[in-house]
Formats: sequence, C-alpha cells, structure tokens
Amino acid sequence: MIVKYKPKRNWLQTIFHTEILQGLALTLSKLFSPPITRQYPKEKPPIYPGFRGQHALVRDPQSGTAKCVACMRCAQICPSRCISIRYHQEEETSRRVMDSFNIEALRCVYCGYCVEVCPVNAITMTDIFEYASYDRESIYFDKEKLLSNWDDFMSSSTYDQSSYVNPFWRPRGLPESELTAAKRVPVPDDWRIENQFIGRKARSKKITGGE
Amino acid sequence: MQILILLVQIAILVGVVLLHVAYATYFERKIIGHMQVRMGPMLVGWHGLLQPIADGIKSFFKEDIIPEQADKPLFLAAPIICLVSMMVSLAVLPFAKGWALADINIGLLFIFAMSSLASYGIILAGWASNSKYTLLGGMRSMAQVISYEISLGLSLVGVMMLSGSLNLTQIVEAQGSSFTGMYIFTQPVAFFVFFVAMLAETNRVPFDLPEAETELVSGYCTEYSGMRYAMFFMAEYIGMFVMASIGVVCFLGGWNGPFNVPFFPPIWFILKVYLIMFVFIWIRATLPRYRYDQLMTIGWKLLIPLALGNIFFTGLVKIVIN
Repeated sequence: MIVKYKPKRNWLQTIFHTEILQGLALTLSKLFSPPITRQYPKEKPPIYPGFRGQHALVRDPQSGTAKCVACMRCAQICPSRCISIRYHQEEETSRRVMDSFNIEALRCVYCGYCVEVCPVNAITMTDIFEYASYDRESIYFDKEKLLSNWDDFMSSSTYDQSSYVNPFWRPRGLPESELTAAKRVPVPDDWRIENQFIGRKARSKKITGGE
Repeated sequence: MQILILLVQIAILVGVVLLHVAYATYFERKIIGHMQVRMGPMLVGWHGLLQPIADGIKSFFKEDIIPEQADKPLFLAAPIICLVSMMVSLAVLPFAKGWALADINIGLLFIFAMSSLASYGIILAGWASNSKYTLLGGMRSMAQVISYEISLGLSLVGVMMLSGSLNLTQIVEAQGSSFTGMYIFTQPVAFFVFFVAMLAETNRVPFDLPEAETELVSGYCTEYSGMRYAMFFMAEYIGMFVMASIGVVCFLGGWNGPFNVPFFPPIWFILKVYLIMFVFIWIRATLPRYRYDQLMTIGWKLLIPLALGNIFFTGLVKIVIN
C-alpha cells in the first residue's frame, strides 16, 4: 500500500482551503447527528451472554445450599489465586464437604476460568456489575455472601432458576466426550462456536463445541 | 447625574457581558460535544443549562493558591490586567445606533491598544508564576500577539480607507443598510486575513499555542486556580466577543439587518456576533493545532503580504474611481 502523505492540490484548492472546508463540513454534519452517549446511571448498558460480573455460588434447588464438591479445580486454575476453599472428608462415605469458600474479588481478574473448569457448575459469574463499595470487607465474598449473590442475581434478572445456563459452563473447543455430565448443557445460540469470530482459521478447522 | 446614568449603563453592560461569557462556555461545550457525537453538559438543570452557574460558584469558592516562588504582586495583578483591558474595549462597541458607551473617534485604535495590553497580563502571568510551563506559554503568547497584531491592524486599514473613519459607528454607517454594502464583499481578502489573525489574537484553536494543553499543561495559567483562573477564562471569552464584534462592525454591517426590530435594536448585531462565535467553536472542533514555526510562517509570510497587497489594491481602485 502506498501512503500518500501529501496529495497534490491545484491552485484553486490551495487558495480556498478545500481540505479545511471538507473537515468543517464533516463536523457540521456531525453536529446534527444524534449523539451516541449512553447516560450511564440512567441508562444501563446491554449485558451480552458471557458477561463476567460479580461471582456467585449456584444455590442448588434441591438441597438449598451450594453445589460445590470441593474438588479444588477452581482454586488451582485461578491465575490471581483469589479463591480459597476448606473442606473436610466425611468418615463413612469419604465424601468431601466444603466448609468455607472465599473469593477475594479485589484480586480477581475476571478471567472466568473457575466457571469453565467447575465440573458441577457450582460457581458462576453473574450479570451484576454494580457492586463497588467504600470498604474492602464487603468485596471479600465468603460462602454465604456468594450464595446470596446468586439469590440477588436470580431475583434481579428475568432468568428462571432451573433453566439458567451460563455460557461458560460449556467450554468452547472441547468435544462433548471430554465434558462432565453437568457441563453438557445447551448454550445460547450466539455463544456457539459456529456463530463466533475467533481468528481467521477457526471455522475452516472445524473446532466445534462438539454436537 | 449624567455620571450616575453612565455608571448604571456600565454596570448593565458588564453584567450582561459576564452572563454572556458564562453561557458562551456552555454554548461551546454543547456544540463541541455534539460535533464529537457526544452530548456535552447534561446533568445540572435541564440539558445542563445551569452548568455555567455551577462552574462560576465552584471557581469562586475554590482555594486561591499562590506558588511559594511566585512574584506575588505581579501574580495577583496579572489576571486583573488581562480582564480589565479586555473589558475596557467593550466601552466603544456600538451595539446599535447610539448604543455605544463611549463613541470616540479612535474606537478601532483603542480596541487594538487594549487587546495588546491584555497580552501584558498574559506575559506577566507567565513570568510571575515562576514555572517553566507558564513562562513558555507567556513567551509564545507574546510572540504570537506581536506577529498577528500587525496583520490584524493592516487588514482593517482597507476598511478604514473605504469608510474614511476610525469611529466604529461611522464605519457601520458607511456600509449602509443594504446587504451588498457590507465590506465583506468589497474587502474579502481583508476579511480572510482579519479572521485568521482574530483566531490567533484570541489564542483560539488552531493557534492556541500559549495554552497548548498537550505540551504546556495549561500554558500561562498553569499555576492559577480558583477565581483568578476564572478571570483568565473570562478575559479570553470577552476577547472572543470583542474580536467577533469588530468583525461584525467592520465587515458584516454592524447592527443593520434585513428589517428593523422594535424595542431591541441590537438584535442583528448580537446574532451576527453569535454567528462568528459559532464559527470560532466550529473551527475549534475541527482543526488540530499548528506547529510553532507554521504559526510564524503563516503570520509573517502569508498574512502580512496579503494584507499589504490588499491595502495597495484598495488604494489603487480608489484612485481609479476618483
């Protein structure tokens, strides 16, 4: 490509400053175009699927508590190491029981790996993004706070608790056979790999979510 | 008694102009906002209409910081010099027939003198605050005003030759009330030179090098805060208003309009001034800043020869016609 830094002008264009006049015409036409400003506190931005907002522990409708099985995968994959989990093992069934689940949201980088890696869809990132606070304690989420975050999210949104699917619960690029049973969930249509633009060769190579 | 009436008139004029200055900032922010597909001030009052008043209250109650190393008397005096000299030139502007506070015979010269005096305020501010940014801003302003003062004066010589007067009222009357009588048609080159020089005189974009915020923080008013900063701001906007008024008086036929408006004769004058102010703002929203050497090149190598040639040509035509 040849970049023409100084296009040739004839003497009429030089005298009448046609380039400046073109610029002035552009700004004048923009004066009458509607502004694209979003008046934030009054107008909320649209939330798209895959939005990574405030963390929550999904409340299991049957047991009424968290689904977490204390497998520690989220704590291991977390790049900023902001998740800490404590558990004990039950004597007779040797089942792990989660005692505490803490997320230090001030350290979180909102990558969403914990949501992708969770085998039972216990953790999720909600659409809520307005939870700024004046103290650090209220952004340090413990288990109760995370469960109540889920309740707040469910009551503030139009989703049905039984049919809600976070798109990150189904990681892209993995065949169905490699997913755990809980993660074989239907995802929203515009989240499917066929409808995504991720790199030039993604679609020709047929890296699909595996149907 | 006469002095009392004059004082009341002065008070009214200053009050109206200060209110105008406040709303000129609103006008500017709104227009630039919409030209950049934004909205401008929206929150204070309906569509931000009370924003200038909120700004005024804020700057009035802010702390007046004086740097330790500053030359205190000059630092305090500089914004006042700037504002007063700009305000004084309002006295000679003829807003309508007989609506000038001081209808003196050297009106045009007086305005030139006062607008050069205002640059003293800027230079003193730059020097007295004892900071490198303000000093650079002040020096740039000095050099710019000296260069463009010449072409500004020379561009109006053609108008003086045609009207045969320096009195602003007589200049307007010499143009007559017809549309084609306006000097913009007989002196288009002079109007171009005047307009560019006017932008440079009032330190507006694209010639805002004295307060180039990307290089000099805020130029000569970097160290100022609170009301003194607002004074510089007011001086700049009154300067814009005065320069736009000279443009209207000398080239656009002053208070004459298509028809006479009863009760409020200055309406055409004010509309024309707003038109020129709109073009100021429009240019600010469009053009980037000139480089310093380009500024000097335009001033000395383009505008002054053009203005001189215009004077020569005007005189030649005048001799031929006579």
